[in-house]
Amino acid sequence: HLLLGYTDVISTVEFNQTGDLLATGDKGGRVVIFQRETEVESGEYNVYSTFQSHEPDFDYLKSLEIEEKINKIRWLPQQNAAHFLLSTNDKTIKLWKVSERDKRPEGYNLKDEEGRIKDISTVTSLRVPVLKPTDLMVEVRPRRIFANGHTYHVNSISVNSDGETYLSADDLRVNMWHLDITDRSFNIVDIKPANMEDLTEVITAAEFHPQHCHLFVYSSSKGTLRLCDMRESALCDKHSKIFEEPEDPGNRSFFSEIISSVSDVKFSHSGRYLLTRDYLTVKVWDLNMEKGPVETYQVHEYLRSKLCSLYENDCIFDKFECVWNSTDSVIMTGAYNSFFRMFDRETGRGVTLEAWRESSKPRAVLRTRRVYTGGRRRRGDVGVDSLDFTKKILHMAWHPAENIIAIAATNNLYIFQDRVNAENL
Amino acid sequence: MEYKVEAHRIMSISLGKIYNSRVQRGGIKLHKNLLVSLVLRSARQVYLSDYYSGACLNAAQSEREANEWDITDSEREKFPSSTTECDRVESPEEPQQTERPEKEHEHRENDDDLKSDQVDCTSTLQQEQNQNSLDSVANVSSETPPETIKEPKESPSESAVAERDSTPEANGESHQPPKTHVCSNRKRSAEETESGDSPQKRIKVASSDAEGDEEAEEMDTSNVSNLITIFGSSFSGLLSKDGAKPESETEDSGQICCDQMLKNLNPWSTAIVAF
Repeated sequence: HLLLGYTDVISTVEFNQTGDLLATGDKGGRVVIFQRETEVESGEYNVYSTFQSHEPDFDYLKSLEIEEKINKIRWLPQQNAAHFLLSTNDKTIKLWKVSERDKRPEGYNLKDEEGRIKDISTVTSLRVPVLKPTDLMVEVRPRRIFANGHTYHVNSISVNSDGETYLSADDLRVNMWHLDITDRSFNIVDIKPANMEDLTEVITAAEFHPQHCHLFVYSSSKGTLRLCDMRESALCDKHSKIFEEPEDPGNRSFFSEIISSVSDVKFSHSGRYLLTRDYLTVKVWDLNMEKGPVETYQVHEYLRSKLCSLYENDCIFDKFECVWNSTDSVIMTGAYNSFFRMFDRETGRGVTLEAWRESSKPRAVLRTRRVYTGGRRRRGDVGVDSLDFTKKILHMAWHPAENIIAIAATNNLYIFQDRVNAENL
Repeated sequence: MEYKVEAHRIMSISLGKIYNSRVQRGGIKLHKNLLVSLVLRSARQVYLSDYYSGACLNAAQSEREANEWDITDSEREKFPSSTTECDRVESPEEPQQTERPEKEHEHRENDDDLKSDQVDCTSTLQQEQNQNSLDSVANVSSETPPETIKEPKESPSESAVAERDSTPEANGESHQPPKTHVCSNRKRSAEETESGDSPQKRIKVASSDAEGDEEAEEMDTSNVSNLITIFGSSFSGLLSKDGAKPESETEDSGQICCDQMLKNLNPWSTAIVAF
């Protein structure tokens, strides 16, 4: 159980495919990479590298500031000693190469140790430079900059299983890029209406299928999911499958549309299921069944009666992420008051956990909590009205193989490790 | 009636959000503005559903309401050709200006409609209300299902549009088309030179106008058929003005600005088209 301090609000968290590296992006455009200690079993995560990925930018044509906030980070599968990741702000996606250097050449003939050119008259013999070990240095260099592909705000990036392409999605369009080509992008979804006044829904998230490189899914603000097959046509405006659940008329309110907007969509590791998050629930969908989710979990149903206040203070627009565990048996998502929820799919049970650290203690503790919604009140229950809505857990990640979770709570990063292997739920 | 108050409150909050989104860093967020406008539309429907049931009885009162709107001198100056119709046109200017920058091209059409609304309002309100139900149904066939209630003030604009297209019948309408164009042009310049606005706002106005020009190919402000399309589209439910509210909250001067804003939902509905 580890807490790492941070200076800026964390806006994205992502493990790489082995789980040895954890990348976080923040509102200031910085990326911090943590690396797990390899010598020790159940090693801890320490800072590996920090770099400025995006700077504030300005669109002169529209007189608009472009925020440097990192919206998403996605790692590429590792192919050689170096690591590659994609990071994006609202407009520009960048490919970064993270490499280590632990040797350096020494013994140049024409340069001295500091790199200054030697006086040639002092060179009396020739030698071959040799590589000598040096302190480990982590170098991060931008390798590609994918700019000008998006008119609207980029909300998702997803690396394809083909290892060569990736998609980026904004409010109205999804583009496919080749990792080596920056001056061209292929538009695969365009839902912009000819008349912007006819706009009724926007794209909220998109992801490639983990195994099938021709399939991707995108979610909308209306709560629908569309699965698209790129083999069918070049422009995938027409979906192969559409997943939507009919609205419950009993729950209709002014805010029904807002709370049905999907904030995140994730394929299961198996590729068989989809996990979506809307404002009050997480849902599991089976790709083979379009008419509705196969599982629905209430994250914080007690907020349903408070939607008006949440609308006033803008909390109703918060975009929570959702994640699968490595075996697709547990799903997790964030909530308010530094709470986050885990649901065991086999038992259907959910638990509320809190990312919390007593200021005197260096380590954070994972505590089970309960929100009091009626019935017998237990000690430690938190009333709905005492929830702190400024402490929201929007971003999180689950280690691809082990029970290690990374939780971003505003500007704190919590990493919880299941050392004892005790059951969490 | 509590839901009316609630709906009114939600509408004010929504308008405030759209207004604030203009000055937020990073540009206008399409998704959030879309959601806010959906809430605004729902609230407005609820709010007006009750009004409409009493609308036919209150036609005269609504006309009186329109007369009570504040008219600033500066606005009057900008519309030297102001008659009573133009006065009513001007009155929503004030609150509209605050919403303006996001609305560009859609706003242009809305201005036209708005003016036509008010013109109709002042002149042949009752006559048009009778026509409205027929015309509006005919014209707004593509209106989305939720828009089942035809507010009297919405209908005049629609019928005005339709009538302008076909045969201008009502009194004020013969001189509508030129006036609306003039007004809309004036309005745009008025917006650009509005006093008391921060420079930041001005920049944004200019930029959004620039964007509006970009979008001009999609929207021709003088194209009447576009106006009909606007009213026919789901988004356009917001475009019509609410006209008068039966309750005279206009006594409270502090409320007037807000009420006028609410009466003129056109401006903020174009939040979406700020790109």
